[in-house]
Amino acid sequence: MAGGRSVLTEVTSDSDELISTRAAGGRRRLGRGALVWPPLLFVAAILLAPVAFIVLFSVGLRSNIPGTEVAFSLDNWKSFLFGEENPFRSRFLYSMQVALIVSVVATIAAYPLAYFLSFVAKRRKYTLLLLLLAPFFTSYLLRVLAWQIMLNDEGVVTEAARTLGLVGDTETISWLIYSTFSVSLVLFYSWVPFVALPIFAVLENMDHRLIEAAGDLGASKWSTFWRVTFPLSIPGVIAGFVFVLIPTTGEFIAPLLVGGTDNQLFGNSIQSFFSTSPNWNYGSVLAMTLIVVVVVLMLLFGRFLNTDLRSTSGRSGQ
Amino acid sequence: MTGSLYTPDSAVNRRRFLGGAALVGGATLLGGCGSPEAEDNSSDAGDSRPPIEEESGELSILEWGGYEAAGTKAQSYGLVAGTDYTKDYGGDDISYTYINNDEQALQKATSDNAFDLMHPCSDTLPQYVERGLLQPFDPELLASYGDLNPYLLEATQIDGKQYMIPWDWGFSSLLYRSDMVDAADATGWELAWNEKYADKISLWSGASSNFQLTGLMLGFDDIYNPTDEQIQEAKAKLIEQKPLNKFYWDSEYGQMRPAFRSGTIWITYSWQAAYASFADKGMSVEYMNPSQGRLAWVCGFVLGANTENYYHAHDYVESFINKEASENLVNLYYYGAANTAIDINKIDNQTLVDSLQLDDPQAIASDDVHLARHMPNLSAIELAWQEVVAS
Repeated sequence: MAGGRSVLTEVTSDSDELISTRAAGGRRRLGRGALVWPPLLFVAAILLAPVAFIVLFSVGLRSNIPGTEVAFSLDNWKSFLFGEENPFRSRFLYSMQVALIVSVVATIAAYPLAYFLSFVAKRRKYTLLLLLLAPFFTSYLLRVLAWQIMLNDEGVVTEAARTLGLVGDTETISWLIYSTFSVSLVLFYSWVPFVALPIFAVLENMDHRLIEAAGDLGASKWSTFWRVTFPLSIPGVIAGFVFVLIPTTGEFIAPLLVGGTDNQLFGNSIQSFFSTSPNWNYGSVLAMTLIVVVVVLMLLFGRFLNTDLRSTSGRSGQ
Repeated sequence: MTGSLYTPDSAVNRRRFLGGAALVGGATLLGGCGSPEAEDNSSDAGDSRPPIEEESGELSILEWGGYEAAGTKAQSYGLVAGTDYTKDYGGDDISYTYINNDEQALQKATSDNAFDLMHPCSDTLPQYVERGLLQPFDPELLASYGDLNPYLLEATQIDGKQYMIPWDWGFSSLLYRSDMVDAADATGWELAWNEKYADKISLWSGASSNFQLTGLMLGFDDIYNPTDEQIQEAKAKLIEQKPLNKFYWDSEYGQMRPAFRSGTIWITYSWQAAYASFADKGMSVEYMNPSQGRLAWVCGFVLGANTENYYHAHDYVESFINKEASENLVNLYYYGAANTAIDINKIDNQTLVDSLQLDDPQAIASDDVHLARHMPNLSAIELAWQEVVAS
């Protein structure tokens, strides 16, 4: 009910603004258009043009090697999509699996964090939020290297395990580093705050009177959370989930530094094809695949996110 | 082409975390050590070339980070190289464009084609020449040319012309912990395939070097030009080796050295600098001399085809290859220097002298040293390597 009112209020408000804008005359419309087009064209140029080039490379119409004859060919696509036991396809599936697991776990872990900041921390919430984000004012590379130092066979974790007698003095914990675990852990650490932010934002903008109303009507805290708070925060949860999932699908730094030979992700293959083992044509096939995946994810989640977040914002505006 | 070259991708990461080169200067010297080929090596444009006084002296150089000339603002690693040049001409007119690997270097050189000097390794030299990016040096303009190792000079010539002036070189082999690895196991490249040391091995992620060392182990006739069948054979062998690795290292200083130092790995593909450094710190390490032979590499300066600073560029190179700068190169970066006139007594690290056999200029030319050369089918090898990594 409240949500319905908020949407009506928002629509009415938007309509008023639209009428007002029209009344302002053509000069104002022209001014807005003139402001929008330059950045739009700029974004189109820097975003779409490189993608167009990648498409051309992927079908053999361009080459990074001067003097190479170019001709349309789908051989690389066929190799990747249908080649028998193609290792890059396997790597892609493995990477998607890792990205999905990290995203789900990071979202689950971030929720209590966001909830604590929004409902428990009270006046200190922004101070704590700043502390949460503090490590992210340093380079991502340095943070991954720090994990490498902590997790290696002589690192603090192994040393602590030795001190506690969990492992022998000369033993190591084989899965601690250069493993799927270490890659996932670093990615989890890297993205948890970014998942917490949209959830925190939604919880902050939530109409807290609904929670009070649920209590007045006899709902327990547990019931209030699951039937009021959580459903209303779903847009933030999905936003956070997507915030992790999309960048993680193309990740290559963490697996490079803390992953073993079997834990490299799809992004590492793409990075190698464009740098140390250059084959831009094949690399473009892999890159295009990733772009398509990201676009599909955006289409899947984008509309849902926009609608729900807006309605949430409307509720808060009442 | 008389020369064949070396290993390119060894230089890629080898340089990533290194620093400093320098300019030495002013050796616009004629005579000295001219070679019999000096006349031939001169550019056709020689007569019409403006004298040095009419050159701008604004040098644009494609370089690895850390090799900037002494006397320039960019230099911060303590290389003496370049000092002579910047004393004569100053360092403000030198600009550097940086590279991270050989392929990137070739790409930048090709797209710009405007560099006065570049610093690739010899295995990519034929590609630079094929693309018309270079002109040969005039050895008569380099006072120290006669001191350079004749074997490396020949290896960096194409059609008898000195397209590259060799400066730094070194070996590639397996470095291992002598207190952890049985000496009887450390006789050849097959050590990397020894299951006894599973999870304690780390090969470098360089495609060509891995196929070369595998080719050596499998006994290929020409490890630089394997057939398609041999590429597949080597690929299968590398896939077999993959589970024994802790990881493929990409960065010497960021990954390999810390892991080796901590004991995470005991056996690793390495250049001699790491060996000298670890041995110097008292670690129990050995740098293997495999029964099939070591790999080796050489890098140097090449002269842009369109340079308008022909004489300045020669002076710049001379300031790097002279005796003092070369001794400093060895002491600072643990590389071999192409200049054979260096005083061995001025090399601080005797482990390095021994491992590089710096007192024997013929060591690099030995039959059991495989100096990297251009690999004509590199694209197929790189794709095969990517398949190994992704498998």
